[in-house]
Amino acid sequence: MKAGLSTKNAPSPNVVLPHYAFGAIAFLVASVLLFFTAGDIINSYLGGRILGVAHILILGWITMIIFGALYQLIPVVMEVRLFSEILAHISLYSLILGTIFLYWSFWDSYISTDLSMEIGGTAIFISVILFVVNALMSAQKTKQKTIENTFIITSAFWLLFTVSLGILIVLNVFYKFIDKNNLELLKIHVNSGIIGWFMMLVIGVGSKLLPMFFIAHKLNRNYLRISYILTNFGHLALAVSLYFFPNKYLLTVIALTIISGILFFVKYNYDAYKMRLRKKLDVGMKLTVVAFLFLFLTIISGFLSIIKPDFLEKIHISINIIYGISLILGFLTSLILGQMYKTLPFIIWLKKYGNKVGKFKVPMPADLYSKKVANLHYYSFVVAIVLILIGIITKIEMVVQISAVAFVITASLYGYNTFKIIFHKEKLEKNDE
Amino acid sequence: MLENLSKTEQKILENIKTVMDPEVEINIVDLGLIYNINHNEIDKKIHVTMTLSARGCPVGDAIIMHVETVVKANWKDYEVTVELTWEPEWTPSLITEEGKKTLNL
Repeated sequence: MKAGLSTKNAPSPNVVLPHYAFGAIAFLVASVLLFFTAGDIINSYLGGRILGVAHILILGWITMIIFGALYQLIPVVMEVRLFSEILAHISLYSLILGTIFLYWSFWDSYISTDLSMEIGGTAIFISVILFVVNALMSAQKTKQKTIENTFIITSAFWLLFTVSLGILIVLNVFYKFIDKNNLELLKIHVNSGIIGWFMMLVIGVGSKLLPMFFIAHKLNRNYLRISYILTNFGHLALAVSLYFFPNKYLLTVIALTIISGILFFVKYNYDAYKMRLRKKLDVGMKLTVVAFLFLFLTIISGFLSIIKPDFLEKIHISINIIYGISLILGFLTSLILGQMYKTLPFIIWLKKYGNKVGKFKVPMPADLYSKKVANLHYYSFVVAIVLILIGIITKIEMVVQISAVAFVITASLYGYNTFKIIFHKEKLEKNDE
Repeated sequence: MLENLSKTEQKILENIKTVMDPEVEINIVDLGLIYNINHNEIDKKIHVTMTLSARGCPVGDAIIMHVETVVKANWKDYEVTVELTWEPEWTPSLITEEGKKTLNL
């Protein structure tokens, strides 16, 4: 077989599957906790309970699934073997441990020097270091020097920067070795995580996978190259500007640069969407399209959050909350809910049936989960995210609580399908011939 | 592509039509993934040249194995090889009329 056929490089499913399982559980736990945080979140984006839920979502849900998916995707898209499955396992358990301890520390006592904060922070740091080492050591062997791969590798560096800064902020709370308001450092930490880690990664992986699922060809790859330059340059300038010269006009120009970069990525995938072979979208791709709608809300609220226009001063806190929610619960959650159906069934299908196709009648990957359940959580998700935004804007606690119930339903149905796929029992029928 | 196939090679092509692309859910012949079939009666060899719709396709191995298994099952005395090529690159223009109907293109 010629080079380019990469599925033989894929790691053992034992590396990937626990990430999907723990991710689904974390999403459910965060949804339940969101119900009890409704009163806090309508008024503030800081505070122990909010940071507790936010860290379960960011680390236990989003980062967990991203790590798992990347252990599968890096070998597939870069056509290399994963550097170390052992490191991936240690990173996984460290991430679980870190998420639990950090959540507990935030929920219990906001930011303090308690033991749970120290253990949690250290465990997350170890997990990220191991992931980054694994990703970079795997990537360095690739002969596929594509722009998508460059995005993925760059995102790993920004992740390291984000987590290092997070640790630095916690240490600075107590030891005051940087003469800077910690809220200013926090802004750099948050934006680095959002633009450097999440967006860079989404652009890299999305630009590889979405055209593949849409089966679109002959796309203009210069859009991605321009996107890379604008988002990275803009992100770097944002960090420097926030630290040294937080000038409103400069920040506006920088924010517009980053947004332009993201829009080039959107244009690339919009072209793929228009060229798609399958006109009728399955639930995975429908959720992906919804994710892009929330990306626009994230861009608008993120822009307003960074430049803080005077005429919106009274609702600036609400804008910040909408920015976080549209990104974490809107864009990223929708993307993960959808892309689970485009990755996990294939991983299990290959494991169970990869060497049996042709010899037996085997189900298709889409037969491994309940489409009815998937469609139900598509609607419950849309209800949940719309309600939470209404709740934030109107500051009505009960609306946020109803939204949390819809999120619990979404997470339960999503979890049902995730575990249905993971624990799928082989179904073989003899061929007629 | 797929021109001047002998009757036997056309039969082999019909066998390969039972192989489905798990993502698009149409058979890989109508998707235009099969570039050539060579049947050599004297040496008892069958050689299939095919492509995939994208590099890094997560089910690429399974599709190729499926082709090999299906052909072997029907041509038991033959040595069957399946070669993956990326040249020319697959484009939607290779989809057959039948495939276009299935996909509502």
